[in-house]
Amino acid sequence: MRAFGAVFVARYKQFIRDRAALFFSFIFPIIFILLFGWAFQNTDTQTFKIGLADEGSPQIAGAITLGLDSVVLKGDQKMFKTQIGEMEDLRASLEDGDLDAVIDVPAGMDTMGPGESDNVQVFYDASRTINQQTLTPALYQVISRINQELGKYTPPIGMEQKSVQSHELRYIDFLLPGILGMTLMFIGVQGGLPVIQQRQAHIIKRLGSTPLRRSTLVLGDLVFRMIVILASAALIILVGRLVFDFQMIGNWLSLCGIILLGSLVFVSLGYLIAALVKTQESAIPAIQIVNLPMMILSGTFFSIANMPAFVEPLVKILPLTYVNDALRQIMVAGTPMHSMTTDIAVLAAWAVACLAVTIRFFKWD
Amino acid sequence: MDVSASKVIGVTNLVKTYGSVKAINQISFEVAQGEVFGMLGPNGAGKTTTVEIMEGLRTADSGSATVLGMDVSKATRAVKERIGVQSQSPALFPGLKVREIINFFRSLYKKSVPTTQIIELAALQESRDVLFRNLSGGQQQRLSVALAFVNDPEIIFLDEPTTGLDPQARRAMWEVIQTFQRAGKTVVLTTHYMEEAQRLCDRIAIMDYGQIIALDSPQRLIDSNIRESAIQFKMKDYPGDQALTSLPDVSKVVREGDDIIIYTGNIPSAISGLLAMASHRSAELSELSVRQATLEDVFLKLTGKRIRD
Repeated sequence: MRAFGAVFVARYKQFIRDRAALFFSFIFPIIFILLFGWAFQNTDTQTFKIGLADEGSPQIAGAITLGLDSVVLKGDQKMFKTQIGEMEDLRASLEDGDLDAVIDVPAGMDTMGPGESDNVQVFYDASRTINQQTLTPALYQVISRINQELGKYTPPIGMEQKSVQSHELRYIDFLLPGILGMTLMFIGVQGGLPVIQQRQAHIIKRLGSTPLRRSTLVLGDLVFRMIVILASAALIILVGRLVFDFQMIGNWLSLCGIILLGSLVFVSLGYLIAALVKTQESAIPAIQIVNLPMMILSGTFFSIANMPAFVEPLVKILPLTYVNDALRQIMVAGTPMHSMTTDIAVLAAWAVACLAVTIRFFKWD
Repeated sequence: MDVSASKVIGVTNLVKTYGSVKAINQISFEVAQGEVFGMLGPNGAGKTTTVEIMEGLRTADSGSATVLGMDVSKATRAVKERIGVQSQSPALFPGLKVREIINFFRSLYKKSVPTTQIIELAALQESRDVLFRNLSGGQQQRLSVALAFVNDPEIIFLDEPTTGLDPQARRAMWEVIQTFQRAGKTVVLTTHYMEEAQRLCDRIAIMDYGQIIALDSPQRLIDSNIRESAIQFKMKDYPGDQALTSLPDVSKVVREGDDIIIYTGNIPSAISGLLAMASHRSAELSELSVRQATLEDVFLKLTGKRIRD
């Protein structure tokens, strides 16, 4: 236990004096979150310009205007800016891109009797994904609320709409779990480097002539690295929360479980590199060969659905793909690409395979 | 010296093979308590392998090594608890301070001496808070040796402890080793410095090709191997071993680089023979010197090599 503590403290002191390690563990992920989070923030709190053409039903048109005005985003910003005008002019503005949608309210809607109905027409550019994801559902909600009020129909089961936003997936919700997964990878795989350095400098051999057990050496290193990983994860989530109001909606224990499983895979990959590579000079490129393709291909910054087809087989074997997917499922309950069992099974298989090869080829001196 | 009475190390018929190379072949010796036991040999002679088996860092293919009455291959950790080791490469954690490294090593052992004592031993009082990577080569070497004392060991194994030290630091290190010996402790020392071996060691094992080819006190090694004096010189156009050995009273010829050494029991006779031959062949003689034989000569005679290859 004393020896374990000594190994742990030694690792800690070396770590806090190692600027590169500190940077990759804590600063690097935060820079990515802030950079990408801010760059894509506008699409998060999107506002829309709506044109409204009243062709003879001022009561309904007024209700719709009020309804649109009442949708408020964070910071009391209105989601819709309404502009009333003639249909011809509004259509022209829509085609020019000055408006996001035009609502045409036909004549005669004010005087509809009970049981009668008519449609308002909504024009928008369906090729813009933001319209499909956000605009039309929001408009639909506004219209159906007006319907309820006009019909004075009180449904037996009421539903209180707390926020139009609560289930809406923002880019930060996609980004943050990806950055977390990437950081687990960096910290884990990077861990092969000190092993190689200490072996190359015969430090491990020198420790071999003391009563220190190798299992204690490995365990002390491992536990320290896990704590760094958890601390980095906490920092990432905290910054996401404070700067972008990121909400972690899943279970914290499951989150820790996936973080530890993912870390195990990447730590094993680091040891695997240490088993196959002898010198520090070749270790650094080896680590990059492992890290870079995963960073780009495993859906850290952008969805893997948009990847070209020819990289798909590669994407499907990389462990980070499954770590990112599992983290997203837990943290934001986004649409899963794989079931959680698939993610866990693939990651466990990776860990076992890496450890098996490591045990076969690893040399202490 | 009656070794077996107070034996602390016993090595019997050790064999260790790497691939097809026999690193050591049937090595046997004993070391008594309080002895400084030297191991000399050219690179690749098997010294380090032998030492590492005694330290529990390697296991022999066959044969046995007993340290402090324990079989090293079985009671490895118990042995490591009571021995001190300095290895040839002085590298330690580059990102830790001197004081932190000592504390780290102290906490690996059940028993340890105070940190300040190790700092004094390494003469690093001024540098206790310096990172290892910022120490000079000599300072790193001194810390590496001092750490061998951290667990108050009964035996220390020193692998070239004074390599890279300036003469003053080397003398200080000799003082440390002799103080340790006076406390009744045992030292196993490998070195490249003949002066160091001759001065410190009670007995010396000379190794070559994985075997011990001579084992005795330095003086007796010299006396029993070389009853003669050495005549050393350089000569253009080497006349051949045959021509030199046939000179009057010359018993052996050794060449190392440009230097030629002939051993003789009768200096005047050998010298006049040598001079006569040189003038006969009109070969140029230079840097001629006559001296008493040293351990270096013994080593050269037995292994045919100079120690620092």
